[in-house]
Amino acid sequence: MSHQRSKQRVALTGAASFLGQNLVGLLEDDPRFERIVSLDVTPPATRGDKTAHVDCDLTRPQSVELIAERLREHRVETLVHLAFLSSPSHTEAYAHELESLGTMHALAGARGAGVTKLVAWSQTMLYGALPSNPNFLTEDHPLSARRDQPYFGDKIEAEAEARRFGARGATVTVLRTAPILGPTVRNYLTRYLAARAVPTMMGFDPLLQLVHEVDALAAFKHALLRDVHGTFNIAGDGVLPLSTVVKLVGRFALPLPGPLASRAVSALWMAGGGFAPSSFLDYLRFVCVVDNQRAKDVLGFAPAFPTREAVLDFAAAQHLRDVRLITDPVGAP
Amino acid sequence: MSEAAQRPPAPPPSTRVPEPAPSGHATLERPGGDDGNLADAARELLSGDYYLRQWGRLGMRNRSEEVDEFGLDPIYERSLFPALDFLHRSWFRTEVDGAEHVPAEGRAILVCNHSGVMPTDGLMLRTALRLAHPTTREVRWLTEDFITHLPFVGAFMTRMGAVRACQENATRLLKSEQLIAVFPEGVKGIGKLFRDRYKLQRFGRGGFVRLALRMRAPVVPCAIVGAEESSPMLARLEGFSRTLGLPYVPITPTFPLLGPVGLLPAPTKWRIRFGPPVELGGEGEDAADDLVLVGRASERVRATVQAMLDDLIQARESVFFG
Repeated sequence: MSHQRSKQRVALTGAASFLGQNLVGLLEDDPRFERIVSLDVTPPATRGDKTAHVDCDLTRPQSVELIAERLREHRVETLVHLAFLSSPSHTEAYAHELESLGTMHALAGARGAGVTKLVAWSQTMLYGALPSNPNFLTEDHPLSARRDQPYFGDKIEAEAEARRFGARGATVTVLRTAPILGPTVRNYLTRYLAARAVPTMMGFDPLLQLVHEVDALAAFKHALLRDVHGTFNIAGDGVLPLSTVVKLVGRFALPLPGPLASRAVSALWMAGGGFAPSSFLDYLRFVCVVDNQRAKDVLGFAPAFPTREAVLDFAAAQHLRDVRLITDPVGAP
Repeated sequence: MSEAAQRPPAPPPSTRVPEPAPSGHATLERPGGDDGNLADAARELLSGDYYLRQWGRLGMRNRSEEVDEFGLDPIYERSLFPALDFLHRSWFRTEVDGAEHVPAEGRAILVCNHSGVMPTDGLMLRTALRLAHPTTREVRWLTEDFITHLPFVGAFMTRMGAVRACQENATRLLKSEQLIAVFPEGVKGIGKLFRDRYKLQRFGRGGFVRLALRMRAPVVPCAIVGAEESSPMLARLEGFSRTLGLPYVPITPTFPLLGPVGLLPAPTKWRIRFGPPVELGGEGEDAADDLVLVGRASERVRATVQAMLDDLIQARESVFFG
């Protein structure tokens, strides 16, 4: 239990990603953590005295030995697994290596080092946007996103792998975050909403649910401080129609008729452009909204920002970006 | 940079965002901000961004920044009240009786007959309860999948208060002590031909009965007369509907003859009658699993609604004048 434990020793994969980098910064500031081991190909910019960086490429089989050795050396008892792509990638082969094999390598290494707790990142998108979805999906709902799409399929497999880690008595907390939005995060969603004309599906106006970046980070820290085994949806309260989100950000909606939209988006994606492959269009037609009640009741985590606040915070920062008053930090993904 | 990234919980800018005006009308922002000087104002007026943002704000004028969890937009709905009131009072001249049978508070399930090619009955039922019920009770009606996902229609219905029909959604609504309306006939109900009017179709698999038993919610029968004649379906185009992915493509006296205008409902006289709650003969989880009890209760509700319909039709002298 967290109150009995003296001080925590934590390792993070994907430590240079948005979540990793900010989480390292948060843990650096918190006296309840005494050692942070960051595993990534580039060191996180937020590392401080407590952080030991290990240059580690999860796609290489040698990483298993390296992780096991270094985690043992630093007597790490908790692994935070964040090494996932937050936006769909054109280099699908690499994405598969990282998410599917990388998870395998990271967990094998952690098992070798005797890690007793795992906090893994997952996403509510993996439930899939299906016409048969109820308006609020609970954690018991199967992950039915399109497995033929590597972006979803690899993550679904990685999540199952992470849950299997708990089979031998380890505590496994899986946090399924809604799409993350906020002033500093950059992902496919912020690029989509940053477009002057935001493409939407003509005649459809699904309800969107987002989580504020601060809440997403707070949820991970919360999961580290409390040992709760299970899978939890992390999402802001409240939903907003896509059209309202677009208007709150101050953008035009560009409604595209269905068949045209999917063809145009796939063609654009094949040509190396666009925000996402055409499988993401489902999320512009059908609801994929989750119930965050279990996180409140069992994990004890209630988000501080509703969906609307996440949109408004993003919009405020985006307006400054539009007029070049702020630019992306160097090295941002 | 590292310092900025170390402290992600920056004070949220949104705390400075003013609450929307109570009227719901978006306010236009002054170029250059409220305390900007002339140069700032001019610079902003010259940038395309300013106009885009104003356009976005104008787009918000008839919608709320906050919808409820199932997507009902209160400001948008209020902006359509005049049109709905007109339909209720002058177009359909709806007469409502038995509204006192609808509980003034707490969970309840209204079970209604489904009719009309366009699913107008849910919307008009909601209007009727808003205008005729002593406590202006608000009802959420459950729609079939094909309406929920029909382009434009589905998005509109969701903003007006429709909810996709499924057990999870209905349970959630009842748990929050809301009044829901179900049309157990489903697509068969709205897609039936004119010659089958007011003949209740099969009541699904009794899903609403199981729901009522499990959630211990009273079942209030409701008959709507007039909606069948407002868009009489003479025939269905079967093959064509399959190509379009729709359950039916209607042929009415005015559609497709007059184009989309032909789908407007005719000004028939509507009557909506609510009956006293039907006794289901049990309650709780066990009763909900008892298939015999569920089947019998479902049939009893169906018979009650059918009897109410027959009464109303016998008392009616003219389709248009009542």
